[in-house]
Amino acid sequence: MGWLPWSSDSSSNTAADGGRIAPDRSSRQRCYEGRDLFFSCLDRNDILDAVKNDKDAQRKCGKELAQFETACSRAWVKYFKEKRVMEYNRDKTIERIKKEDAAKVEDLKSQGWTAR
Amino acid sequence: MASSIRPAGRILARASRTSLLSLESPVTRTLARPTFFSVGPEQAARTRSSNGITTLRRAFSTSPTHCKAPSMGQLKARNSTGPFSWKSALLFVLTGGGMIIYFRVEKERLERKRIAELSKGVGKPKVGGPFTLKDLDGKEFTAEDLKGKYSFVYFGFTHCPDICPDELDKMAEIIDKVNEATGGEKIFLPVFITCDPVRDTPEVLREYLKEFHPGIIGLTGTYEQVKNVCKQYRVYFSTPRDVKPGEDYLVDHSIYFYLMDPDNDFVECIGRQDTPDSATRTIMEHINDWKREGKPLRKD
Repeated sequence: MGWLPWSSDSSSNTAADGGRIAPDRSSRQRCYEGRDLFFSCLDRNDILDAVKNDKDAQRKCGKELAQFETACSRAWVKYFKEKRVMEYNRDKTIERIKKEDAAKVEDLKSQGWTAR
Repeated sequence: MASSIRPAGRILARASRTSLLSLESPVTRTLARPTFFSVGPEQAARTRSSNGITTLRRAFSTSPTHCKAPSMGQLKARNSTGPFSWKSALLFVLTGGGMIIYFRVEKERLERKRIAELSKGVGKPKVGGPFTLKDLDGKEFTAEDLKGKYSFVYFGFTHCPDICPDELDKMAEIIDKVNEATGGEKIFLPVFITCDPVRDTPEVLREYLKEFHPGIIGLTGTYEQVKNVCKQYRVYFSTPRDVKPGEDYLVDHSIYFYLMDPDNDFVECIGRQDTPDSATRTIMEHINDWKREGKPLRKD
C-alpha cells in the first residue's frame, strides 16, 4: 500500500530547505478523482462508513480503494472517509429539521394559523 | 442635500407669492383709484359732484382692467395649475427618491462603520496583534509591515486536503477583483500564514502559493512564532510539536479570511459562504469608507 505517488523516491518529497512538498494542483485532482470513484462504489454497495466497515469496503471496492490510496496520502484518505460520514449525518440532520418544521407548520395551519 | 431642498423651497415661495398676488389684486384695484388721477380729496369730490357717479365709475372700471388684462391672464394661467406643474412634480419625485437613496446608503455606511469600530473597542483589539514571522525570502515580517494597507489574512497549510485549496482559489479571484476595483493601487495585501511550519518551509510555501496567485504573501516561522500569531488571531492551533520525519498528519485550523484595516485592526470575517463577488463587495465598501474619511493609505 503505497501512500504517496510522489513518495517513491524520498528526495522529490523534500524541498531543498528541508520542508515537505505538498501535493500540487494536478495530484490533488488525481486524489479527488480516486476518492470519487471509491465513494461511488461505496454508494452502490450501501456502505457509508469505510472506516468502520473496512472489511466490507475492502471486499466490495478493493480495486477502487487501492487506487484511492495510491492517489492520496494516508491522512487524506482517513480525512475523506470521515468527512463522508460527517456530511451524511449533517444532511440527515438538516432533512430531519426541515421535516419537523414542515410538520409544525401543518400542525399550526390546522389550528387556523396563517403564514404571513 | 441642502442644494436639493433649495429649489423645492423656491417653488413654495413662488407658489405663495402667486396666491398672495391673486388675493391682493382686488385691493390694489381699489387702492389705484385715488392715485390714478393724482388729485387732492377736495378736487376728487368736486369732479364727483359735477360729472355724476356713473361717469366716474365707467372711467375707473374700464381703464385699470384694460391695463391689467395681460398680467391677470398670466396670473390666472399660473393659478389654474398652481405649484403643481409637471416640472415641480418631477422635481418632487427626484428629490424624494434621491433622499431615500441617500439615507439608505448612509445607513449602510454607518452600519459598516459600526462593525469596524466594534472591533477597535476600548483597549486591545480582539483579533490580530503583534507578531514576528518570516517571508518567503527569509526576511523578517512583522505586524508593522501590514500597516497602512488593508490586509486579507488566511491561515492554512499546504498539506490541506480540500478546503484550503478551494479557499485559496477564491482568494486569488478576490485579489484580482479588488485590484481591478482599486485601479491597481497597492493598498491590498493578501497574506497566507501557515499553521504547519515544520513542513511548510519558505520554499515549499512558494511552490504551493505560486499555483494560486503570485501576489499572495506567504509567511512562516518557528513553531513558537506560528503558535503566537495563531493565538493573536484567535485561530485554533493543533499542530503537533514533534513530528517524525515522513509522518503524515493534518492540522485543524480556522477557515476564515480576516480583513484588517490599515491600523491593523480587525474589520470583518470572510467565510466559506461568501462568493468572490460578495467578498470583493464587502472589502471595497470598507476601503471606500476609509478613503472617504480621508484616512491615510500606504501605496508603495
